[in-house]
Amino acid sequence: MNFDWTAEDLDFKSRVAALFDSESVTALEGLERAELPELKATTGMFLRRLSETGYLSLGMGPEAASETLRLMAGQEEVALFSGSLFLAVETTARLFGGLLKGFGEPEQVRDILEPLFRGEIVAAVAMSEPAGNEPGTSRTSAREDGDSFVVNGRKSFASNGPIADYIAVTGEVDGLLAVFLVEPRMEGVAVGTRLQTLGYNGVAVSSLDLTAVRVPRSRVLGPFRDAKPLEWLRQIDNLVLSVASVGLMHRTLAEARRHASGHVRDGKAVGKHQEVRFKLAEMLTLAQTAQLLAYRTAWLHATAADEAPTLIHCAKVFSAEASERVASLAMQIAAGDAYVSGNVVERGYRDAKYAAIAGTTSELARMSIAQDLLNLHRV
Amino acid sequence: MDFSFSDEQLMFREQVLKFARKEIAPRAQQHDLESRFDWESWKRLGEFGILGLHFPEEYGGSGADVVTTVLASEALGESGVDGGLTLSYGAHTFLCADTIFAHGTEEQRRKYIPPLATGAKVGCMGLTEPGAGSDVASLRTRAERKGDTWVLNGSKMFITNGGIADVALIYAKTDPAAGHAGISAFIVEKGTPGFTVSRNLIKMGVHSSPTSELVFEDCVIPAENLVGSEGNGFMMAMQTVEWDRSALLAPFIGAIAFLIERCTRYAQQREQFGRPIAYFQGVRHKLADLKIFLEAARSLVYRIAWCKDQGRPLNHLEAAVAKLFVGDWSLGPTNDAMIIMGGYGYCHEYDVERIFRDSRLAPIGGGTSDVQKVLISRLM
Repeated sequence: MNFDWTAEDLDFKSRVAALFDSESVTALEGLERAELPELKATTGMFLRRLSETGYLSLGMGPEAASETLRLMAGQEEVALFSGSLFLAVETTARLFGGLLKGFGEPEQVRDILEPLFRGEIVAAVAMSEPAGNEPGTSRTSAREDGDSFVVNGRKSFASNGPIADYIAVTGEVDGLLAVFLVEPRMEGVAVGTRLQTLGYNGVAVSSLDLTAVRVPRSRVLGPFRDAKPLEWLRQIDNLVLSVASVGLMHRTLAEARRHASGHVRDGKAVGKHQEVRFKLAEMLTLAQTAQLLAYRTAWLHATAADEAPTLIHCAKVFSAEASERVASLAMQIAAGDAYVSGNVVERGYRDAKYAAIAGTTSELARMSIAQDLLNLHRV
Repeated sequence: MDFSFSDEQLMFREQVLKFARKEIAPRAQQHDLESRFDWESWKRLGEFGILGLHFPEEYGGSGADVVTTVLASEALGESGVDGGLTLSYGAHTFLCADTIFAHGTEEQRRKYIPPLATGAKVGCMGLTEPGAGSDVASLRTRAERKGDTWVLNGSKMFITNGGIADVALIYAKTDPAAGHAGISAFIVEKGTPGFTVSRNLIKMGVHSSPTSELVFEDCVIPAENLVGSEGNGFMMAMQTVEWDRSALLAPFIGAIAFLIERCTRYAQQREQFGRPIAYFQGVRHKLADLKIFLEAARSLVYRIAWCKDQGRPLNHLEAAVAKLFVGDWSLGPTNDAMIIMGGYGYCHEYDVERIFRDSRLAPIGGGTSDVQKVLISRLM
């Protein structure tokens, strides 16, 4: 047992943190209001900077699971400064890149992964469909035609969709899971207009329509005999969302503390009043607890422990719901200032809901945790 | 970071779990019902080595590290041992015996630790008073030096094991004007003239652990019964916080693991509307919430234990976070467990009702949740 980061972890962590100087923070503020060209430019700029730390090539695919904890040391630094950037980066690197690295043939994906590791491309993964996400229900399907697959389907949400160079689209071939790597410029690919979302406004989200899109065999992962790529994607997505929630908690807590130390009531800073202090204490308790649970979960994932899938759900539900609570308390403390659009707390309050509904929803995660318990303690 | 346990730690945890399930837990319910201390279980805990686990072998212990000790405490809770017995164990081993071991003279160690480590004698710690709890500086119990004796006057409230203890570690003011620096600790043995148990308290939970009010009226003890140096009592009491936030919290966490197993099995057997209640989402979500709390709480407590093993000074912020989280956030899951069990959960027939009551001590004992919030907001 050891609760300390290794020297290498700390070095990586500090190199990632060093990217976020005051100039970067200003740029990230702008990300939340940016139009698509600026959004792509800013996201790309940070991807290139992150690539210099090795951030983009860590934890790519199931074979690299052992790097999960090291990666988390850096992830939490990104998530602390900008939830939107963090989700855009992780969608590109861990979800899209990890899918390719983990489930594609090396010669098949090399020409995409190499620029991805250098931070030169932005990518998306499109899984959600209007009818839901249950395995075996995908209406995105393809038929083989010579050296290509012809794909038809519709995806509801694709994070990074409007700015992506590549999009990994999940679908089926003869009832088996396959992943199609498409580019927005391909004939039959229609990236929907950018959706207006409640939070994480620095992530561009769109729907995606595929109409008779001809995807070369070399750009198709699978077909797979099982749903492992999807299961892996969900686990990584849930880990990422846990880190996003922890970052959000620390960010809103810091802003609430800043307000509490400078705003005066009854002749003293509001942070001197017990009702505010108690709220801050609860916020820190939730943030620290979620953070530690995320670390332990990452370690379990890294060591391929049997309990890792259960703990990933536990960490995701806890951190998501804790972040909603923390953001709400921060709003209460920072009051009018926090209610103004653009304030860190206002943004955090809107962002917080996402983690509970994205990835595996809190409800489905709880059902899964309970099923794991029922399997463990079967009568 | 590495969250693994050694093979030895895991093996010992399993041994404790097996032992406690067989030897201790079956006796818990009856003793809780009768509000009676379980001397037989106490003896068996001593024989198994639990009561002195972390003390060196030469003092009757096993020389276990703190993480192992915490795992053993957690295993007691997970086995179904009642919170009363684990509370008595905690007060005895960590608040009384460990303080004597850590700060006492070699003579005091030789005299008191071996019988405490084996359970031949029972220890208690007296800090809280009718008018002073977390506000330690407000203690009124007075110790005055007279020749080669100390004379104690005052009273102590909510003293775990107070009515059955052979050895009481009592904190008293030796210099009332010096605030925290005027507090010292003394060993008072059972039967010392002037030392009486004025009453045993009736409590909501932890029934098998006797909680008492102690009274000292011109109670004369030898000068050598001073533990540590004069005026050092506050610091000594604060050092027990490390144990309080690890080994004393661990049984509460273990109890949640017990509830998970009990409720998960029950949910598969109990049928309503033609199917096991485990089929219903409302029940499954509660089971999940128990598990989520368990896993969130574990790391907080293990962290305190691991840091103590490394010889690091206690991080009071992390300790308060652990105490606040386990105390306040355990109330929901224990309530959920009772709801899953329905009428049976409300009856004494099942352990769930007992654990529900016992868990209510977590946000109160050892510093209330409000005190933890004061600490956290001060230290953050």
